[in-house]
Amino acid sequence: MRGIDYVLKRVGFAIVTVFVAVTINFVLFRLAPGNAVSNLSRVPHATQQLRHALEVQFGLDKSKWQQYVIYLKQLSHGNLGVSYENEQPVSTNLRIALINTLPMVTLGTVFAIILGTFTGVLAAWRRGTKTEGASLSSALAFYAMPTQWLGLMLIILFAGIFPTGGMTNEFLLNPPFWTHMKDLASHMFLPALTLGLTLYGEYTLIVRSAMLETLGEDYILTARAKGLKPRTIVRKHALRNAMLPITTLIALSLGYIVAGAILIETVFSWPGIGRAVYEAVLERDYPMLQGAFLVLTLSVIFFNLVADLLYFKLDPRITE
Amino acid sequence: MSKRWLAAIPVVAALIFATTAIGSGTKAASSGTFRLGTANGIDSLNPYVAFNQDAYSAFEYIYPVLVQYDSHLHFAPFFAKSWHHSKDGKTWTFTTQSHAKWSDGKPLTAADAAWTINIDIKYQGGGAANEAGLISHIKSASAPNATTLVVHYKLAPNPAYVLGQFQQFYILPKHIWAQHLGRNGAGLKTFPNNAPVVGSGPFNLVKFQRNNIAIFQRNDSYWGVKPKIEEFGLQQFSDDDAMVTALQHNNLDAIEAVPATAMKTLRNGGFVVSDVPGLDQTDFIVNSNPKKKHHRELLNLKVKEAFDHAIDRKKIDSVTFLGAAQPANSIIPAPAGVGWHDPHLKTVSFDLKLANQILDKLGYKKGPGGIRVAKGQKMSYDVVAPTDVQSIPRTFQILQTDFKKIGVKLNEKALDSSAAFALMSGPNNTYQGFDLAMWDWTALIDPDFMLSVVTCAQYGGWSDSGYCNKQYDKMYAQQQVAKTVAQRKQIVWKMQAYLYKQRPYLWLANDDSVDAVSKNWVGFKNTAQGPFNEINIQSLTQVHQK
Repeated sequence: MRGIDYVLKRVGFAIVTVFVAVTINFVLFRLAPGNAVSNLSRVPHATQQLRHALEVQFGLDKSKWQQYVIYLKQLSHGNLGVSYENEQPVSTNLRIALINTLPMVTLGTVFAIILGTFTGVLAAWRRGTKTEGASLSSALAFYAMPTQWLGLMLIILFAGIFPTGGMTNEFLLNPPFWTHMKDLASHMFLPALTLGLTLYGEYTLIVRSAMLETLGEDYILTARAKGLKPRTIVRKHALRNAMLPITTLIALSLGYIVAGAILIETVFSWPGIGRAVYEAVLERDYPMLQGAFLVLTLSVIFFNLVADLLYFKLDPRITE
Repeated sequence: MSKRWLAAIPVVAALIFATTAIGSGTKAASSGTFRLGTANGIDSLNPYVAFNQDAYSAFEYIYPVLVQYDSHLHFAPFFAKSWHHSKDGKTWTFTTQSHAKWSDGKPLTAADAAWTINIDIKYQGGGAANEAGLISHIKSASAPNATTLVVHYKLAPNPAYVLGQFQQFYILPKHIWAQHLGRNGAGLKTFPNNAPVVGSGPFNLVKFQRNNIAIFQRNDSYWGVKPKIEEFGLQQFSDDDAMVTALQHNNLDAIEAVPATAMKTLRNGGFVVSDVPGLDQTDFIVNSNPKKKHHRELLNLKVKEAFDHAIDRKKIDSVTFLGAAQPANSIIPAPAGVGWHDPHLKTVSFDLKLANQILDKLGYKKGPGGIRVAKGQKMSYDVVAPTDVQSIPRTFQILQTDFKKIGVKLNEKALDSSAAFALMSGPNNTYQGFDLAMWDWTALIDPDFMLSVVTCAQYGGWSDSGYCNKQYDKMYAQQQVAKTVAQRKQIVWKMQAYLYKQRPYLWLANDDSVDAVSKNWVGFKNTAQGPFNEINIQSLTQVHQK
């Protein structure tokens, strides 16, 4: 029963968080200086009528409270509204951008998780050696590097080997499936590598720290005394017991996948959600921002919930 | 994890690297595809929604317009083969192309043009508000037959004004758009007009993904001179360096708006770099709202004159633009149209001694820190600096250093363009919230638009200076209805000379339009508005491989 209570509490907390986030999303963007129609009404042939027409069309002539109620009503029907910028449904805009973003960011994140875990474990296991020094310093260096700078350096290094912009070679006419996949992979390589390199340092540091803690435990000493192989000790005893903080970090990282990577998508001209959000901020495209942040909120909350539930499995003491 | 599995990781990684890397720089599609890189991009395929210049340039290639500019910027026949107007100048008759077709095979006639004009008039306060400026003064339009368009005006506009407006007016297919009017024309804005777009230009837009790509294929049923290439693509880059690298490695054939820092590299790399005077001008804005409450010394024309003399335009051109710009002096840049720029206006000299003398004469003495005091207030001002204009930070540093030498302190206030405009126009468009600002303007070929931005009617619209002057507004209205082009030109010059003295803007630099193209292609033509422009369709209809 305690387990069910734990799950219900977590789910309830998640629902309240979503509602609070929805409200904050609505208020926050409207607090920023600037006006949603000022940019859109500044097209060469526009007259003063356009500004008023846009305000009426977007419902911005109504009070903030009325706008909030309308937003909640729309949301309850699963309607995220219409983008101010291109006047298309936000759900369509987000779907297209997400489909573009997910493969690249997932690849980069998974790469970071695998590499970071490996180097973190290695650094902890080889504590005090040159291996730890090399692992730690390279992790810190990549962690500290500005993302856009690293991306540009990779472009310079790999120019001519990998494409420097876009998601696919759009000039290929009806390519066969494998040609398309190869093309997609070649375009994805540099942005995913940039993301992976900037993220893996964090994993290295967390995993190393968690591993060092467990490697100092008595049961590790016992395992050594029993003559178990070093790899068995690390894999079966140390790493498993160091999983709690690592799980939290992985869950958070996976949650943020839907946010895309603004800087990387900008440097590599990747038409993903990060760029869409950046443009929406500049244009004060409130429905797009609300929609994107709602998706991000739901994703983060979902993966946190998954992490919470995994804790329940990983560490039964939580329910006690 | 077995040893074998671990060993496989680098092998798999190397395999992925090798298979994906091979051929990434190779050219795709057929040899008739021209690949153009842009930093601007098409934001919407709907003319009632679009904002970016690339969108309007795309419309120029897929929709008919009545007239275009020729290479000397004179009006040339396009969908309209000829035109004339009535004696009183209030009725214009255009004879349009016969046997023209839309890309879906339906006939394109003068009735489509009349329908588009009438719809824009009907819904100018709603769905068609984006185009309202283009149909101002028009009462109605009719098509007595398939090749005759008659446009009735409320007054007699200047001929250059009429043709200038129609040069930007895209004729839409009635049989497509009439289905999407929606309630009170609101549907005009929500119709996505997805690719393949039904149009009738030299190219059909067949593929479009926002923030990424637009592919245009040759329209074989086009009624004009056919393009020499089979298709061209406009690929959008959000990073200039990545775009330049893509050109260098044969992933593109040309790029527009080449950053000044890359010009030398590309020239040395064997690319043809074209550098022509452009239509974009950077400016230093002085809040000229006559009802301004704070720092009213900025309304004093002598103060503005002193500021103008403290601007080292040569240094701005050489340091900020690396030589790819010219000193600016008027609201109408020199490359705009034929003779609209007033050639009598001279660039204001950089003379700090004179600037100091002017301010001394006004009695604004230097106080603590060398900052002058005007009417009891320190001459220390925030300068609103929109972050989307790349040249502003470096230009500001130059201005700040020189203004300090005349006892004026400038503080940069960097904001994104939306926040900047909100601050400048202020609550209820009172223009009370700022003193100085920096921004840029991109002029059109016809001077009407640029001249309009400082009219009182543009408060809350295009005005970013708060300037409002009845005498100027009167001249603005006069130039629209001047009987002849020569008469209009005289008024346009007079207006420029007037603004030159009033100084709502201190003009800084007139940026060049720079493009780069591979040596394998010829016929790609750069203009003041770039190679992919709203002026005419010459560039991409004439480009071809060597």
